[in-house]
This record gives sequence, structure tokens and C-alpha cells, in this order.
Amino acid sequence: MTTAVLFAHWPDWIGDLSGGLLESVKLTAAISAVGLPLGLLLAMGSSLGPRPLRWLSIAVVEVARGVPALVVLYLVYFGLPQAHLTLEAFVAATIALGFTMAGYTAEIFRAGINAVPDGQREAARAVGLRRGQELLYVVLPQAVRIVIPPILGYVVLFFQATSLAFAVAIPELISRAYTIGSSTFEYLNVLILAALLYAAIAIPASQLVDWLERRRDRLA
Amino acid sequence: MSSVVDYLGPLSAGIGNTLLITFGAFGIGAAIGIPIALARSARWRPLRMLGVAYVELLRGIPPIAWLFIAFYGLAQLGIRVESMPAAVGGLGAISGAYMAEIYRAGLRAVPHGQFEAGRAVGLTESGLYRHVIVPQAIVTVFPPAMTYVIGLLKDSAIASVIGAQEITALALGEQQQSFAGLPIFLAAGIIYMAIGLPLGGISRWVDVRLTRRLADA
Amino acid sequence: MEVQGLGKAFGPHRALEDVSLSVAAGEVVGIIGPSGSGKSTLLRCINHLEQPTSGRVLIDGVPIADPGGREPSAKELAALRRKVGMVFQSFNLFPHLTAVENVMLAQVKALGRPKQEARARALELLERVGIADKADSRPRRCSGGQQQRIAIARALALDPRVMLFDEPTSALDPELGLEVLGVMRELASDGMTMIVVTHEMHFAEEVADRIVFMADGRIVEEGPPRQVMRAPRHERTRRFLRAVLDR
Repeated sequence: MTTAVLFAHWPDWIGDLSGGLLESVKLTAAISAVGLPLGLLLAMGSSLGPRPLRWLSIAVVEVARGVPALVVLYLVYFGLPQAHLTLEAFVAATIALGFTMAGYTAEIFRAGINAVPDGQREAARAVGLRRGQELLYVVLPQAVRIVIPPILGYVVLFFQATSLAFAVAIPELISRAYTIGSSTFEYLNVLILAALLYAAIAIPASQLVDWLERRRDRLA
Repeated sequence: MSSVVDYLGPLSAGIGNTLLITFGAFGIGAAIGIPIALARSARWRPLRMLGVAYVELLRGIPPIAWLFIAFYGLAQLGIRVESMPAAVGGLGAISGAYMAEIYRAGLRAVPHGQFEAGRAVGLTESGLYRHVIVPQAIVTVFPPAMTYVIGLLKDSAIASVIGAQEITALALGEQQQSFAGLPIFLAAGIIYMAIGLPLGGISRWVDVRLTRRLADA
Repeated sequence: MEVQGLGKAFGPHRALEDVSLSVAAGEVVGIIGPSGSGKSTLLRCINHLEQPTSGRVLIDGVPIADPGGREPSAKELAALRRKVGMVFQSFNLFPHLTAVENVMLAQVKALGRPKQEARARALELLERVGIADKADSRPRRCSGGQQQRIAIARALALDPRVMLFDEPTSALDPELGLEVLGVMRELASDGMTMIVVTHEMHFAEEVADRIVFMADGRIVEEGPPRQVMRAPRHERTRRFLRAVLDR
């Protein structure tokens, strides 16, 4: 196979695959919209909440991190209908991958919250802030600044994880590449193009994350 | 309606393959990670760029795409790879990229003075690495490497999409027969956690021992 | 040992310029000077932890390497470094090994001595530097002064022709520094050839046979301790000594 043949159909496919890429990006946004707030809630629950809530949060985090995302996805997509809750594939993927993302990012948020010096909290109380205000105005703003780079790192990782949605037939990037491959039998060519499209987003994005991390460490 | 417990047995038949994929891929990654890490920090620019390209591409493209390339893509070239070797090889190649970065971080964590002291007492470069640097770097390398193994355990589920008969693939098979998705995938999740949690426990135990060995008399 | 026209440049910055120095067997040379004057770089060039950009170093008349020619091979470098013992400011003991293992490692792995012999020699050296009781402790369990004495034993274990000391006491509390200086004093009186970069003026004056004053990568003046420290010929030396002794 010559290079010319490898590239021959790329122009024909790029439109379809770009549509898939857009779907992957949309799914990433939806997953993050579910996963990040939930992750923050779990982090607050497990490091600041009363004891029962603390244990519950830790257990949820352990499950979210301990079970493969693909299994969670199958559970939501194939399992919930049994409980009379049938979800569209996109919604199922958003919930499943969002849940997994929450588990991973909860650890990051928790580390961020713990990284805020105790003195800050004492100072907040000393100037008369209530517990909620102390959290909202003093602790979280500092914690968020610390965790932004690693959290974005997880967003990049879950952009890649949207490829798991192939398993529930969402027409995202890898599904479309697979479909083209199975109809043309030019699997290698189309898969390489799809892979490069992923890389074209993920590599610059993770470089950006590295840069943000270095900048944060420099400023700290 | 059948319960979760009923599926634990049938799905356990996939544990062997799940572990084979996990540790096979890790073994490959741990081995090829060394030359990749060396290339990544080589003085000769082309070699260094090659190392960087490997690490970035392998990490920047989703595992599922690599497994498809290994399974369907290579077949197009007339290279037929069975699903298990494709899964182990594909995930192994990805592990190489991650392990290379873990090794590099481990080496960077060894103070510069250790390299100087080793050289000053007349050790050769290989002796320096064997007796002075690696025993210290291993303490830094171990925890992220174990975290990575546990991550691989979960990534091994992806091998089901190319038909490797591991836990998730067996669960999917059961689902297609009985449509009892809820207990089936709950059982699968329980099995993964039953493997992963002890693995995490062991790694923490070893980590404590390694750290103590370095710190105490 | 002889240093001939040694130069070292880090990019445009010239850390060493045309430094020549010959050290007789059994002689103790103290090198003093302001920080950044190239003292440490000189030591590091002597055992090629830094590759000199010009000049050469000879031990027993044998050149270590000609920078003008080829770079020494890793094997040659390792062989050379066995003839030169080095003691670092920050000790650089191997933290994963006990004191006695620190002293044994290079004996076994670099010189190929049998383990039994290496161990016996290591214990003898630890005895000599006064910390035989710490033989089986890891460095982290030892005080700074003890660590530096282990480091001295580690360097001595290779039976070096010359010992280099790079500010061996400047990371230590004064009291712990005394332990180390005591060991060095004994080494000197036993006839060890030593080059000591130091800020301890009294020690330098008392123990060294010769003092070398360096500034801006050059040797400004050298001579017997009394003369250099009490009656320096150069204004630069005078300025430095005044600053140091006034403190």
C-alpha cells in the first residue's frame, strides 16, 4: 500500500468524520457538565461533610473509580431499562461517563481543598464569616485555582473516553470511522485519519494543560 | 428475575483473560517504556523527537482507536492478529508511553548530587544506574506504576470491543441472551472492584515498605 | 598531581580561566575565595564531573584526558575517578544504603574487591573517622557531621591518590563541622594529598601547606598560609580577607 492510496479517500471521509468529532466534543461538554459539579460535590462531601455523608461520598468515589467506564455505560444503557428507565444513548453516555469523571475529579478537588492552608479557614472565621461563606468565598476560590490544570487534564482524558460511546452506537468519531471501515474495508486508512483527528485535539490540549500547570507552579 | 449473585460465577470465567490483558500489557509497557524514556531524554534531537512523538501519539489517541487499528487495520494489510494478542499488544504499546513518562519522573526525582557522587566514586554509567539511581528512583516510580496497573485493569474492558473474551465481553454476551442488564453489569462491576481494591491495598503496603526502607535504618 | 591551563566556559560565562596548579604528594592545598570564583568548578573539573573546555589534568604524570583531543571514554573516566576521592558540600550519601554499604559499594562494584574484604576495609575506615557504631544505620539516621564523615570514608575506600574536599563543612552547624575538620586534620597529618575548598580560614591556615586564593575564575595568588593570609600581595586578596575576618 502506497502513501497515495492511504490518503486517497481522506477527502471523501473528512466531512463525515468531522461531524463525528463534533459529536465527540459535544459529548465531552455534556460529560463535563455532569461530572465536574458532581465531582466537586463528592469532594466537599468526603472532606467537609458530616460523618455519614463522608462515608457515602467516599464509597461513591471508590465505585466510580473502581468500575470500568465501559461497564458503567452498559449498566446505564442496558440495565436501567429494566428499572423502567429507558434512556437515549447520548443521555446514557453522559450520565455514565459523567459519573466516572466525577469519581476521578473528586480526588483532585479534594486535594485542592486540602491544599488550602488551615490558616485561611481560621482567618475567614476570625473575620466573622459563616461556614458556608468561608467555603464559598475563601476556600473554594483558592482550591479551584490549584485544581484547574489537573481538572482540564481529565477533560482531555474524557474527550478520548467519549470513544467508548461507540459501544452504544452514538455516531461520534470512532463509530463513524468504524462504519466507513466496515463498508469500504479500508479500515486502516480511515482509522488512521480518525486517530489523527483525536490527536489533533488531545495533544495541543494536553500541552496547554502542561503549560497551565507550569505557570501555576511558577506563580505559587 | 435472576439476581446479581447468579452472574458472578459465569462472569468470573473472564477474570483470567482480564488479568492476562492487564498484566501482559503492563509487562510490555514496563519493558518498552525504558528505551522510550531514554529516547525521550536523548541528546540527539531526532531520537528525542521520535520519543516525544511516540509518547504524545500513543497517549493522545484513545485506546479503542489503537485496538481497532491493531485488530481491523492490520488485517487490511494481511496481518491477522487475534483479539487477545491485539488487545495485549495495543494496550502494551500505550502503556509504554505512560511508563516512559513515569520512569522519567522517577529519574528526575533522584537528586543531581547522587549522580555526581556515584561517578566520583568511580562507578561506570551502568553501575551508577544499577546500584545508585534505580534503587532510589523505584520508590518514586512504584506508586504511579501501580496506579497505572489499576487503570489498565479498567481499560482492559475495552478489549471487549474487538472480541477478547474477558469479563466485560462475557457480560455483554449474557446481556444479549437474557436482557437482564442490571444484575449482569452490577456483577461485572463487583468483580472488577474485587480485583482492583486488593490490588490497591497491596500497592499501598509495598509503597509503605519501600519508603520505609529508604528512610530508616 | 598537576593541573595545566585548565579552562571551563558555561556558554559565554567563563568559570575558569587558565588555571595551573601542581600539588606534590602529601601536600595539603587550601583554596579560598569569594563564592562564584570558580573554586568548586576547579575541583569538579579535576575529576571531570565537569568537562573542562581547555587544559588538562595529570595524575602521576599520566594525563586524565586532553580536551584538545578526544573526550575520555566512560571507562577511562571511571578509572580516573577511582584515583581521586571527592567529598561534597551536601555529602551526597546514597540514602538507600547503610553507612557500611555506602563505603563498600564502589569497592565491590568499581574495584572488584571481594565483599568480605570490602566490608572489613569499610569498617576499618568508619572506625578511623570515629563512627563505627553507625555502620548499620542509614544516612537519614545520622547527623550531618556523621554523614560527612561517612562520605569521607566512602572516598578513602578507593585508596585515592588525592582527596578533593568541596566546602565539606559549610552545610554543617559549627559544632558538627568541628568533627569533620578533626578527621581532615588527621588525614593531613597521615600524609594524604588533599585539595580543600573551604571557608574555614583558621582551618586552612592551620592545616594547609599552601593557600591558593581564587577570584573570577583565576588564581590571584598562592603561597604559604601565613604569607597569603597575613600579608597578601594582591589588593583583591586583601579585600576578601578583610571582608571574611571582619565578620
